Amino acid sequence: MTFGTRAQVRLFRSLLRLYPSRFRAAHGDEMTQLFVTRLARARDARAALALWTRIARDAASTALALRRAARPPRRQPGAQPAGGLEMLWQDVRFGIRHLWRTPIFTIGAIALLAVGIGANVAVFSVVDHVMLRPLAFDRIDEVVYVNQDDDDGEPSSASFPATRDMAASSVFSAVAATSPAQMTWDRAGDRVDVVVEFTTASYLDVAGLTPLRGRWFSPEHDAVGTAPVAVVSAATWRSRFDSDPGVVGRTIRLNDSPVTIIGVGPDDLSGTFAPVVTDFWLSISATVVAGQFRVANLERRQDHWYDVRARLASGVTVEQARVAMDALALRLAEEYPELNRGRGITVQPASEVRLYPEADSTLVMASAIVVTLLLLACANLANLLLVRGIGRSGEIAIRRALGAGTARVSRLFLVESLILSVVGGVVGLMLGHAALMALPMAPLPQPFSGTLDLAIDGRIAGFAVALMVATGVLFGMAPALRAGRTGVAAALRDDQRTSSIGRATTRLRNGLVVVQVAGSLVLILAAGLLGRSLLAMQRADTGVDADRLAYARTNVSTPAQDAGAAAVLLEQVRARLAALPGVTHAAASSRLPAQFSGTTTTLVEGYTPPAGTNAVELNVTVVSPEYFDTVGLPIVEGRGFLDTDIVGADRVAIVNEAAAQRFWGGTDVVGRRLRSQGQPDLFRTVVGVAGDAPVATYPEAPTRPAFYVPTGQGNVGLMYFLVRTEGDPGSLLPSMRAAVTDVRSSLTIAAQGTLASHFGAALSAPRFVARIVATVSGLAVLLAALGIYAVVAFNVARRSGELGIRVALGAQPGRVVRMVVSETMGSVALGLAGGLALAALAVRQLESVLFGVRPFDPVTFAGAVVVLACVAWLAAYLPARRAAQADPVSALRAS
Amino acid sequence: MTTRQDPRVLPLRPPVFLILLALSSGDRHGLGIADDVEHATGGAVELGPGTLYRSLGEMVEAGLIRGVRAPEQDADPRRKYYRITAAGRALLAAEARRLQQLVGAARARNVLTDST
Repeated sequence: MTFGTRAQVRLFRSLLRLYPSRFRAAHGDEMTQLFVTRLARARDARAALALWTRIARDAASTALALRRAARPPRRQPGAQPAGGLEMLWQDVRFGIRHLWRTPIFTIGAIALLAVGIGANVAVFSVVDHVMLRPLAFDRIDEVVYVNQDDDDGEPSSASFPATRDMAASSVFSAVAATSPAQMTWDRAGDRVDVVVEFTTASYLDVAGLTPLRGRWFSPEHDAVGTAPVAVVSAATWRSRFDSDPGVVGRTIRLNDSPVTIIGVGPDDLSGTFAPVVTDFWLSISATVVAGQFRVANLERRQDHWYDVRARLASGVTVEQARVAMDALALRLAEEYPELNRGRGITVQPASEVRLYPEADSTLVMASAIVVTLLLLACANLANLLLVRGIGRSGEIAIRRALGAGTARVSRLFLVESLILSVVGGVVGLMLGHAALMALPMAPLPQPFSGTLDLAIDGRIAGFAVALMVATGVLFGMAPALRAGRTGVAAALRDDQRTSSIGRATTRLRNGLVVVQVAGSLVLILAAGLLGRSLLAMQRADTGVDADRLAYARTNVSTPAQDAGAAAVLLEQVRARLAALPGVTHAAASSRLPAQFSGTTTTLVEGYTPPAGTNAVELNVTVVSPEYFDTVGLPIVEGRGFLDTDIVGADRVAIVNEAAAQRFWGGTDVVGRRLRSQGQPDLFRTVVGVAGDAPVATYPEAPTRPAFYVPTGQGNVGLMYFLVRTEGDPGSLLPSMRAAVTDVRSSLTIAAQGTLASHFGAALSAPRFVARIVATVSGLAVLLAALGIYAVVAFNVARRSGELGIRVALGAQPGRVVRMVVSETMGSVALGLAGGLALAALAVRQLESVLFGVRPFDPVTFAGAVVVLACVAWLAAYLPARRAAQADPVSALRAS
Repeated sequence: MTTRQDPRVLPLRPPVFLILLALSSGDRHGLGIADDVEHATGGAVELGPGTLYRSLGEMVEAGLIRGVRAPEQDADPRRKYYRITAAGRALLAAEARRLQQLVGAARARNVLTDST
């Protein structure tokens, strides 16, 4: 028996509803038995399909007749020939046959729809996941975000000690702290980057969900000292553990330390950075895996590393929670005046918190682009169907002469367009799905590189179906109504070239040209601006000699070692790398230029921040003395670091030019002091100013203020070793790896590459966006050109008699061409004007994603208008010239 | 659009002929008729469920067949059996003769030489 027998029997039973109820009651069971017997004989899917075809035909012909027989005749036979099912079936069959006979039209129309719908499904799935989808927590209206404010008074994140204070408040039934990190998972020798989140035991209470398998953390895991444990997320359990139920109790190696998996997370629980998949939740006791600084900041009130979500105690309102947290903020300000004076605590209902507000402009832009594309596709399709409808006026006239009513004729068209939109929609859904599957490979702008969970869900599919039907009705209507209006005699008398095409249709078609030109102008402008912006980004000054730098990341500290041992190991590795042939310099650094990382709250002596508290957030990089020479950053004032800048000597720092400019006006910087907040006695003296390099992002305009501290006086753990090479830095990567393991075989390299590729990777997101917009706008221009070509070709064909007379009477062919083209160029000019007006509104939205080019860039605007005008002119000129070159006598005869 | 003809008019519609043929050798229920038709035609004709039961209804109404009680040995007494009437038998014979004449005419012109 074939697959899905029960479902097929159910389907057959529902088919029986077509029959009159008495007939069904009398024979339904036996008919089902007969069906089951035949289905059992169908050996494969093809035989089952053939059976279904016969069943459908049988039902369509008999059910209708039985229903009509069951009813007293209302009208005279023949006045309203067969209705309902039988006729619809006829229409569908006719439509399919008809579409089959014009494959180019059919394939073109389906492709137009599929591209429009597919792009919309893909983009709106992303919009849904990133902008709209709420946290999948239970009773989400009870969940609030509770966070300490940053120095500008904006809610940010909280220190771990502060989360304990929040948890002590009675307004919450549970308070959970989470902090994300990127780790290396040693998966049987294969090292992969994973996204983890350190989480408290209370997280499950806040979420109100149950783990799929095993258990969640218990309160004893909330402190360092107990065994490090992990809960694998449901998504990762499925994708990377093949849903193995034996995963609970297994020990994995994260950052080269053992961690025991105690459970599989709740099905709906995505991580903080959804749609980026959180692979593992780690207990607070597992912070030791990430390094001593992670353990240390559990007690440091100046490190705001935790996101807090809480569930309100029963009966407590958001307002009451705000009052309680305001009181807590005041208490903390009193107890820790230097850290918390003026620092509020903000309570926000979960529904009001936006995770990626910075993605809005990109997503809104993407949505606008795909909607425009869909509209253009629809306009073009409507145009195609109009032309086709006009070409069929003879056929329609015959049908009407033979007695087909207006409704019947209109329905033929409607059914045909619905067939097109259903097929186009199905292909579009598949395209959209394929696009989403490809998307995780496309780097998105985000701090963590992880896998993305971006499935099409039922709502998106529903959206696509609605879009599909609306599209079908929309473009099916115009030709259908026109077909219905055509007078029989007029249509029979006139052939397709004469004036049975009303003025209204001509206006409609010209209107479609206007819409297409306007829409494509906006899209070309967007593509042009993004392209120029990307060029500017690629040319942006990195400040460092990226083309000759390679790096390798390794961890020189292990929990068992002391700081001195790490420093010795670091210098051994650095010296070994410096001795490699082809290497001129080698240095160590805690981070690369243009790399996202946490900041340190810093007090700058002699500088008062414009708002908020007395501190600023700065990126700190721990570098070895050779760093500046190695990467090619000049020391513009003072000195670089020396081997003598070690613990016990004066504490020193080097600031970048951006910091020197911002804090001290760029002059007299050496000798100034700054310190980390919460360490009143530990000032660092500025000994030098280094040139600017992008700090956290690339390109970075303006450069963020930042400072450097020497390896001799900072924490060293996970370090980047940078080498400057004489030749191609890429060719040195294998020997770097060998050199590192040569120093100590336990050292592993988790990340390696050239600095040029590191900067290039930072541009992959804007490059991706620009490429997509360019593709879409290319499609749009092609569509507009095709639309114009069709309109002109059609107009010319319709007027061939008139044009023939003009040429016969001595008009120059050139004049005739000019006349025809200029008529169309009127619509094009109107479209260009409309497009410019639209663009004036639209490009403002682009401002935040552009770099080095203004939204109203005159070069881009002029270029876009010229390109589109030329394409439009060509599309109008080609068919016009062909008409003018035709022999006037044959043209006249044909009409 | 198709106004249904009286099932008693010659030429008989194929389902009517085949159902009468199936019942000519004994009473049968609907499923039995469907089986017999397929068997008799070597699987060439498969009566659709709708066609079968609709035809049965019309034929009862036209007096060609009538419903009878199920025989004792049948496991499911709810099943309705059909029996051919004298009128049905006469009509079946008339149609068979008509077909025979047609086939005879074809045979006389050697149309069937290949297959006989």
